[in-house]
Amino acid sequence: MTPTVSASGLSLRYGGTRALDDVSLRLSGGVTGLLGPNGAGKTTLLRVLATALPADRGAFTVLGHDPGTARGRQEVRRRLGYLPQTPGFHPDFTAFEFVDYVAILKEMTDRAARHREVRRVLDEVGLADVRGKRIRKLSGGMRQRVALGAALVGDPGFLVLDEPTVGLDPEQRMRFREFIAGAGEGRTVLLSTHQTEDVAMLCHRVLVMAGGRVRFEGTPAELTARAAGHVWSSTERDPGAKAGWRTGTGSFRNVGDPPAGADLLEPTLEDGYLLTLEGAGAEVAA
Amino acid sequence: MSWHVPEEDLRAYARGELAAPALWSADAHLGACARCRGALGEVSDPVALDAGWERLDAELDAPRTGVLESLIVRLGVPGHTARLLAAAPVLRRSWLGAVVAVLLLSVGAGHLVRGGESPTLFLALAPLLPLAGVALSYGPALDPTYEMAVVAPMHGFRLLMIRTVAVLGVVLGLNGLATLALPAYGLRALAWLLPALALTATGLALTPRLGPVLAPSLVGGAWVAVLVLADVLRAGAHAPLAPYTAAGQGVAAAVAALAAGLLFLLRDRFDLFQGRAA
Repeated sequence: MTPTVSASGLSLRYGGTRALDDVSLRLSGGVTGLLGPNGAGKTTLLRVLATALPADRGAFTVLGHDPGTARGRQEVRRRLGYLPQTPGFHPDFTAFEFVDYVAILKEMTDRAARHREVRRVLDEVGLADVRGKRIRKLSGGMRQRVALGAALVGDPGFLVLDEPTVGLDPEQRMRFREFIAGAGEGRTVLLSTHQTEDVAMLCHRVLVMAGGRVRFEGTPAELTARAAGHVWSSTERDPGAKAGWRTGTGSFRNVGDPPAGADLLEPTLEDGYLLTLEGAGAEVAA
Repeated sequence: MSWHVPEEDLRAYARGELAAPALWSADAHLGACARCRGALGEVSDPVALDAGWERLDAELDAPRTGVLESLIVRLGVPGHTARLLAAAPVLRRSWLGAVVAVLLLSVGAGHLVRGGESPTLFLALAPLLPLAGVALSYGPALDPTYEMAVVAPMHGFRLLMIRTVAVLGVVLGLNGLATLALPAYGLRALAWLLPALALTATGLALTPRLGPVLAPSLVGGAWVAVLVLADVLRAGAHAPLAPYTAAGQGVAAAVAALAAGLLFLLRDRFDLFQGRAA
C-alpha cells in the first residue's frame, strides 16, 4: 500500500538551531501520535508536512505528490486538513461564517455546495446547534471543534492536528478524542500532543521526537514495552532512578535501571516515553 | 407588505437559477410572506418545489451578509471574493475610523498652517496609510487565520492581492476625499498618490525577504527619513519638499513600477509561511 506520507532525510535550520535533523518517516491510514517535549521540532515537522514550510534538505511526498514543486504543493493542499497549534479566528464571525471562510480558501466557490459542506462538517464535530453563534461566545472546547470542522472541509485525505487538546478540561478532551477517532476512519491523521493518554487511547502508531530527530517510531505497545523491567516501586525515592514520584498510595514509582530485587511494576506508555527521552538526552549530550 | 417577489424571479427561483443579490432578497422575503410562497407553489413543479424548500431551509440557516459585503456584491464582485474581502480586519469600522481621524487631523493642520506651498503634514501621512493598511491585512502576527490560509489551496499571492486592492481602494478613496478638502492647493494636494503606491509596492516586495512586520516598518521609516532629509536640503521655507516636485514624483513612479515587478517575480513566496517556526 502506498503510504500517505513518505519522507527521508528532512532537515531544516533556523539560524543556529537545527529544528529538523535528518527526519525520515512513513505514515499510512489511521491516527499516528507525535510526542516530544517543547522545542523538539514537532510543530516544524507538521508545518513542513502541511506544505507551509520548505525543508532545507531531504525529500518527501504527501498523497503521492511532491510538495517541493508549486503544482505538487497545490495538489497536496487540495486534500489536506490542518489544525494549527493556536488556531486564530475572526472574533466577529459565527462558527458557520468561519468555516465558510475557510471553505472559500479551499476553492469552494459554489455557494450552495459550500454551505452544504459547512453544515456537514459542523454536524460532524457536534456544533450544528451553535453554528449561528459568534465564536467569541463559544467555550475553548467548542472553538477547537470549530477549527477541527474547518480542517475537515473538503473531506481531506491527510489531517494534521497540532496539539488540539491543549487547554481543554477532561470532559472536553474526551469529547475531542471521539471526534479525532472518527476523523481517523478512512484517512491519515497526524496528531501532535503532549498528552500520552491521547496517544494511548487514539493512536495505532507513535513517533517520539527530541532535538529535531525522530527517536522512536512504532506502536504504542512497543513504546510501552521499552519500559518493561524499568519501572519499580519503593518506599523512598530511589536515588538511582531517572525519574521518581510519590503516588497516591504513598509509595514511590521509579523509572530507570532498577536495583536487584526491586518490586517491578507494569509500565505505561508514559514510562516508555520518558525512557526514550532520557536516551535521546544522553545521545544529544554525547 | 408592499413589495413581493416578481413572478419572473419566482420562476427563476423555482428552477434554481435566480442569482444573488436577487436570490437573497427572494430568500428573505419568502421566509416571511405566505402570498409569495403560495405563488411559488403555482409556478413550480412538485419536485423542484421540494428542492426549493430545502434550499430555503439552508438559506435561512446561512449567515447574513453585512453591509460592506452586500455593497461589494452589488458592485459585481463574486460572493466568495466579497466574503474574503469582508474578512480583512483592516476593512472593519475601528480601523477605518482611525484612518478617517488621521486624515481629518492632517487636513485640519493643512488649513491651520496656511501660507506654505503645500500641506506638508497631509502629504507626509497620506502615503503611510495604505502602507499600514496593507501590512495590517496580512501575516502571522496580524491575520488570525494566516496559518490556515497559507496551507489552503488558494494562492497566498491571490489572497494578498485581493486584500491589497480592497485596502488601496478604500484608503486611496478616503485620501482622495481628504484632498478635496484642500482645494486651495489644487493638484499639488494629490502629490501623495505616487509615493503611496511606491511605499505600498515596496513594502510588499520586501515582505518575502524581511517578513510582514519588518518590511513595511522599514519602508515607513525610510519614507520619514527621506522627508526629514528633503526638509534639510530644500531651497527655501516655501519650496516644496523633493518628493513632491516633478522629479520626486518621477522617482516615486519608477520605484512603484520596479517594486511591482519584483513583487510579481516573488509571488510564489507568498504561498509559504512568512513567520518564524516553533
